[in-house]
Amino acid sequence: MTGLVQPVVREITQSQIDAYAAASGDDNPIHVDPAFAATTPFGGTIAHGMLVLALIGEMMHDAHGEAWRNSGRLKVRFKAPTRAGDTVTASATPSKPSDGTQEYAVQCANQHGEILIEGRASVSEDGRRRPSSS
Amino acid sequence: MTSTSRTSIAALPRGHELERSDFALLREQVDAYLRATGDATIYGSAVPPLAILALALTALQAQIWLPKGSLHTGQEVEHVREVDTGDPLTLTGRIAQRSERQGYVISVIELEVSTSDGVALRARTTIMAPGGGA
Repeated sequence: MTGLVQPVVREITQSQIDAYAAASGDDNPIHVDPAFAATTPFGGTIAHGMLVLALIGEMMHDAHGEAWRNSGRLKVRFKAPTRAGDTVTASATPSKPSDGTQEYAVQCANQHGEILIEGRASVSEDGRRRPSSS
Repeated sequence: MTSTSRTSIAALPRGHELERSDFALLREQVDAYLRATGDATIYGSAVPPLAILALALTALQAQIWLPKGSLHTGQEVEHVREVDTGDPLTLTGRIAQRSERQGYVISVIELEVSTSDGVALRARTTIMAPGGGA
């Protein structure tokens, strides 16, 4: 098991948000229509939560590979919007392994240190599923 | 995928069973997802687990529409087994929870994506939608 999780840092641009909307079919105007988004409490477009969450998925896959694909678990809350132009850092803090499972506190934060996504991730050391605990 | 009339998520009651969808993830869909997320990882024939979820949520849009102003507020996902591009997949789901608060409907959708070998991914997606969209 690798266990070393390196942060992933990426700027989220409007063109990336538009590309994600096209790839996912989620063209909610809060993501892709600046005129509409300007009338919302956000004041402008925001990224899809799943687009930002993908940074955590990439980070965990880079560390655990096949074990992540076969046994990874994520539980997160989207705490704040990610705006076009934000630079997002996904990071993980490991806890002590238990019952063959490595757990992490995971988060995404923007360039101001604001937490955008927060939660937990886990992966089995042998890449096999453990009985669900929740 | 089977077509059906679309209903606002805010109008769906707790316990509502979503219509089963049969689909497959094509290489070009996965590549578009990876380009949009900026993930340069080499996955080979494997589909990144969050791509499975993101594109399963796309499949759901044949049945459910999200009113303007809807927000994705929470996400849980369990990867059970690897999926390859082109694998026949089945999506099933239901509205597991529904509550109302300050004019918004908060719905939790439980999803399962299965291959011919069994469940590949389980997820719980929390959506907060303006109640007026019902």
